[in-house]
Amino acid sequence: MSEAVVQHGAVAHPTGGGAMQRLHLGTAVLTGVVCAAIAWYLSHHILHDDTPVVSDQVTTITMAGWAIGFMAGIGAFRGPWRWMLGKDQTHEDETFYAGKDQGVGRYFRFTTDHKVVGIQYLVVTMVMLGIGGTLAMMIRTDLVTPQSGFLGPQTYNAVVGLHGLIMIIATIIMVTGPFGNFIVPIMIGARDMAFPRLNALSLWLIVAALPVFVSAAFLGGIPTGWSGYAPLSDQAPPGMDAFLMFIIIFAISTAVAGANITTTILTMRARGMTWNRTPIFVWGTMASVGLAIPAFPMFMSAMVLLGLDRTTGAQFFVASGGGNGWLYANLFWIMGHPEVYVIVIPAIAALMELTPVFTRKPLFNYNAAVLALVGIVGLSIMVWAHHMYASGWAPDLNGPFMLTTELISIPTGLLFLVVVGTIWRGRVWTTLPMMSTYAMLWNFIIGGITGIYLSDVPADYALHGSMFVTAHFHYTLMGAGLTGAIGALAFWFPKMTGRMLDHRAGLISFWLVQIGFNVTFFGMFAVGLAGQPRRVQHYSSLFATGNLVSTMGAYAIGIGMLVLLYAIVSSWRHGAIAPANPWGSKTLEWTVPNPIPLENFEVLPVVVADPYGYGEGDPSSLPTKQAHEAVLRVGAGSPGHGNDADGESS
Amino acid sequence: MSTGAEFGERARRWSRRPETRGIFLLWTALTVALVAFAFVPSRIMGPPASSTMRAVEETMTVFSIAAAPVAAIVWAISLYSLLKWRHRGAGPPPEDGPAIRSNGPVTTLWLVISSVLCALLLIWGLAEMEAVGDPASSAAAPLVVDVTGQQWVWTFSYPQDGNVESDQLYLPKNRLVVFNVTSEDVIHSFWIVQMGVKVDANPGETTNIRVVPDKLGVFDIRCAELCGLLHADMETSAHVVTSGDFASWVTAQGGHG
Repeated sequence: MSEAVVQHGAVAHPTGGGAMQRLHLGTAVLTGVVCAAIAWYLSHHILHDDTPVVSDQVTTITMAGWAIGFMAGIGAFRGPWRWMLGKDQTHEDETFYAGKDQGVGRYFRFTTDHKVVGIQYLVVTMVMLGIGGTLAMMIRTDLVTPQSGFLGPQTYNAVVGLHGLIMIIATIIMVTGPFGNFIVPIMIGARDMAFPRLNALSLWLIVAALPVFVSAAFLGGIPTGWSGYAPLSDQAPPGMDAFLMFIIIFAISTAVAGANITTTILTMRARGMTWNRTPIFVWGTMASVGLAIPAFPMFMSAMVLLGLDRTTGAQFFVASGGGNGWLYANLFWIMGHPEVYVIVIPAIAALMELTPVFTRKPLFNYNAAVLALVGIVGLSIMVWAHHMYASGWAPDLNGPFMLTTELISIPTGLLFLVVVGTIWRGRVWTTLPMMSTYAMLWNFIIGGITGIYLSDVPADYALHGSMFVTAHFHYTLMGAGLTGAIGALAFWFPKMTGRMLDHRAGLISFWLVQIGFNVTFFGMFAVGLAGQPRRVQHYSSLFATGNLVSTMGAYAIGIGMLVLLYAIVSSWRHGAIAPANPWGSKTLEWTVPNPIPLENFEVLPVVVADPYGYGEGDPSSLPTKQAHEAVLRVGAGSPGHGNDADGESS
Repeated sequence: MSTGAEFGERARRWSRRPETRGIFLLWTALTVALVAFAFVPSRIMGPPASSTMRAVEETMTVFSIAAAPVAAIVWAISLYSLLKWRHRGAGPPPEDGPAIRSNGPVTTLWLVISSVLCALLLIWGLAEMEAVGDPASSAAAPLVVDVTGQQWVWTFSYPQDGNVESDQLYLPKNRLVVFNVTSEDVIHSFWIVQMGVKVDANPGETTNIRVVPDKLGVFDIRCAELCGLLHADMETSAHVVTSGDFASWVTAQGGHG
């Protein structure tokens, strides 16, 4: 991994960066632990021991100490600090920040190169999915028989909450994190993100939040499920403080990443990349992070209020103190429903991006695809109370929320038309990415139709809070979301690592995961229909068969994911060397060489067509070899092509 | 604009294309299979114990039937394309597929069908909400039951019968019941499974829901909102009895009817 060396004349020893040269993950952990210890010691001695909330106060302050110390130790504050002193970064500083000539070490630093951040996101996502998957295996093992007693009720509730939380966060970042950071800037013909330091900040905030999450497991867990409904969360153990600190840190990271990615896409697209030539994955990424920008502050404010309840006895959500749990539920779901589209949109957009490549056809009805994304984003902020039909909060609003919810089926249906229309008469090249598209078509249809049952108010009265709901949202978030992310990884793996993903291991993993997935959640649909509530540690013997089936399916998923992990690790280490454009794709990221040089493009490209010109005689849109001459007008001296663009080419 | 005869000729040619026939066959087969499957959910949900549950199970079946041709066309087209035009090999296909950028009539048709389906779902749902919200009953006055959830038991109180209290729910058959539901601590959710009714029990608030039980028997009450340690154990039974048996149960509990 020495791609940083080739550009702009190698520098033997980094000269810039100052103190940054000595800061890395190790110093971050060290300062984090020291700050946490100091915060714990001080809060323990200063706060009064006679209040019942003192342990929550100490926990919260200690975790804040950890996070601040960690971010200081990684060097996140050096830039703003020097700026306040009036000393701006030198060019050498910026080069050091970008990770030039630092080898593998740059992955453990506050590195600003978007490709490094993308890989870091990928690894962090995989770690999170690994934790969440292990917890899922524990849940399914407990539920293998009606009264297995594998986990006690306390541990079971803690595990359910931890699984839900880590999986939600992992799925939120699993596409826009790795691919939004690594691929999107190259795809739009940019040298980096608009705010490279914010990019590193958003990544390292998530890394700082991970130990906070893990600590919840040792502080009584999250016995409320990931939804953290108040007032149950008011009476929960200090694990709940870890929950809300985790969310607060994550919400900051999301805001930073969202601002960065949207700004990058809005202002840094290559010359000639007009909106109707912008790849659909770029649209999907922008829709997702753009939706997260208004959504997550709601969650964060709910967490701040909950934190005040827990540490100061504020009672925002406690009825006996004049508060109301419905306030929490509203804040939570105003984030919570947009959030599922934050997860699903970029995954499906990635599949829409790769489907034309593997069918050798233009994306069918590009305009409809864009309109569908915009429509889903717009509607998704108006549907949140369909999670609260049975809450009693506002029965009169159930009708209107049923309307907005069912309207979403129209733009969602358009997305299906786009994918199916692209596949129709295509030269379907059955690689792992294309198989993921097919799997999505199967799973997301089921997830969508079961969502329509749940949008119906009386049917929801019967099914709300049952395993049916659990199965439904796994079909969307996992069946469409995670499947899309795996397809995206298989698609972009050659560009991100320079090596091909092991096809055979990928195939084995695909079938294990997809069959296991459908078995698991068909069983769960059945027990939900029959009346098994969610989040129960044991259940009536009526549901024994369905649960046994679910558990067997879950183990198949688990094994399949381990095979995928093996495929990724072994291919990354010694897979076949990938050519620059192994799939014959027409998007810009495939025009840069492997390994990708720092700042991606020596000369910024000029775009003259959209990247979907498959089967069209026009030579300006032929793929692969000709692409370098046609899609890229190499050299700055070709102002005649596509200068009407609103892109910027520095 | 083509004349009627030309249009007919084009439609005939279109219908003779092998793709059209293949997809039509696949679509029909999948639709038939899915329509047959549409009756499975209501069977799993079991025999309904109220008009509400009957309406819900009907909804599941109707929505499943309505969704069947839509799911089938998506799967039929993608499956047909896979079977017919699949490319196997290590490298990209030697030639591209046809450059179909869009198809106005198809997109319009798709939008019209999905909008019509969406409108039908909505109308169905609103009518059903109306029926379920105020179910018809033959008996004159509704029975009021106060339901209190607390970690981790349900308590039922009958204000019209001298505030008789019980941890098992007893209801007379064919009489409208109004449940006033609240909680003493955290949010619970009051769910009579076979009657298809559910409403949250919120601390400091009273919510209500109505149902007419129309089947004698013992049914399951479960808590449907995670409420802490023993959430899974927060279950009890609903006994639907004749009105005569109900009156004697009230008397036996020390109440007055």
